[in-house]
Amino acid sequence: MSAELKEPKSTRKGEARCPGAPSTQEIIAGDKVSAPGWVRSESYQFLGDEDIPTDRYIEPSYAKEEFDRLWTRTWQFACREENIPQIGDYHVYDVGPYSFLITRVGANDVRAYYNACLHRGTKLRASGTEGRASEFQCSFHGWSWNIDGTNKTVVCPWDFPHVDRQKLQLPEARVELLGGFVFINMDPDAPAFADYLGPEFKAHMDAWRLEDRYVYLHVAKRLPCNWKLAIEAFLEAYHVVRTHPQVAVSNGDANSQYDVYGEHVDRFISTLGVLSPHLYGKHTEEDILNQFTLGDSGALGDTKRTLSEGTTARQVMADMFRGMFEKATNTDLSGVSDSELLDCFSYTIFPNFFIFPGISLPMAYRFRPDPRDHRKCLYEVMFLRPVPKDGKRPEPAEPTYLGDTQSFKEAAGMDPGFGAILDQDTDNLFLQQEGLEASAKRGLTLGNYQEVRVRHFEKAVDKYLAMEPKKPDRDKLPSR
Amino acid sequence: MQFARALRVSEVPPGEKKAVDVSGASVLICNSNERLYAVSNICSHAQERLECGRMSRGWIACPVHGARFDLATGRAMNPPAKEPIATYEVRVVDDWIEVAVGDQRVNAS
Repeated sequence: MSAELKEPKSTRKGEARCPGAPSTQEIIAGDKVSAPGWVRSESYQFLGDEDIPTDRYIEPSYAKEEFDRLWTRTWQFACREENIPQIGDYHVYDVGPYSFLITRVGANDVRAYYNACLHRGTKLRASGTEGRASEFQCSFHGWSWNIDGTNKTVVCPWDFPHVDRQKLQLPEARVELLGGFVFINMDPDAPAFADYLGPEFKAHMDAWRLEDRYVYLHVAKRLPCNWKLAIEAFLEAYHVVRTHPQVAVSNGDANSQYDVYGEHVDRFISTLGVLSPHLYGKHTEEDILNQFTLGDSGALGDTKRTLSEGTTARQVMADMFRGMFEKATNTDLSGVSDSELLDCFSYTIFPNFFIFPGISLPMAYRFRPDPRDHRKCLYEVMFLRPVPKDGKRPEPAEPTYLGDTQSFKEAAGMDPGFGAILDQDTDNLFLQQEGLEASAKRGLTLGNYQEVRVRHFEKAVDKYLAMEPKKPDRDKLPSR
Repeated sequence: MQFARALRVSEVPPGEKKAVDVSGASVLICNSNERLYAVSNICSHAQERLECGRMSRGWIACPVHGARFDLATGRAMNPPAKEPIATYEVRVVDDWIEVAVGDQRVNAS
């Protein structure tokens, strides 16, 4: 029987769901190893149905306003704690024109120093680097700072009688640690990170224990589009059946679940190991089993996939993946539900961070605008594996930077099937950027349910862009 | 190629590094990425010593200005360094790490 996808039955806006298909919650309720509360809950909200104006994607002046209003006020993922494991370790985080030395000063003391000498402004460390500092010495005239941000050296102090050494503390952005991630915020008046995230999502994040994972693959690529278009390409499963036809056979796309949490967090749950409602009646359970694509299939090896009588492809995949993954990565997954093993959980923390806490798609994404070109952005994907049971934490992967024309399949360690999916996702983007510039229609039209995360994201953009510019100012920062 | 004894293998366990003078050169012996490397201990940018810097995933970072060098080739990976550092042939004989300082592969001048 084929599901009817075209005729919404509900009359209230945003209440219609894919007709003739089980909901995400109904699929998960049928699993053998049942899912925790954070999976088995819904938090959808209708947020309006007006078009989204397109000047935000195509006007260079809009990008400038974002740098002055949005990026200076929002909590951003800067690096993993594993990037700075020891005291004195630093990692340079850049967003737009801004640059920070994310520095471990103590076991639980991580600071984000503005990466600029207080003499004549030279960066104290080059962008894109990390290391361990005995001091932060400027390579120009040699003024230097201790790792706690206090001034160490002013060369020829006799010539600077007007400089108060006590005021030469390196200015800092705010820092919060969560799940092994280091987040920073330049705005001293921004809400606390926990309030920014809200209590419900914070509880989800705490349940995942992502501090017990490590980055085993990190791939970065420049994309030919505005950063917001790149983000929006990953906010819904509505595109799966056309953009990724090879995946739709084993993905509950049109019946995925969408949730919003406050102003800064949203998610979808997209079940895997089930047939797309678009394809009902066209494929068997064997087809689903054989088409299943995993982001981390390296852990599965060449295991033969067989469907015994009375079982579903979804259950076979859950059982098989549990066993193989435990063995391959020396981890214990006995307490992990089938849904967490298989399904795609995509969460976004505004403005530019995605976290996928599942086991089969264990990823984080980050998108950063190019400060010199509003039509370019940098996309990074990080795969996170559990730290082995013996507790020895592997070093996090060095980033692989792909060229503009390279395939994600070319990144060493990338699952080819998943690399192909990322190629499909990102190959649409230059067409969308150019199409928006060419179009006689000045707005994006969005689905009420399946594209609610796009609307939620853009509502947050609107909120920050309506504020006054706020650039970092040392004289307005609280002193340490 | 003239090899000289530098350190006992046990003195440089995995993930560790140690500086030693060999035939008048300050050499940094590094155990990273499951192999041994021998490179100059002196940064090509401002002649600072590299031995207190961070070593990770096949590179060493200068602790003062942050230049990083590829341990296998000596290549400068980021500013403020441009020039490579010297790298030396290294081998293990009878529990000793031996280095051929007279046979620099990079930056021999």
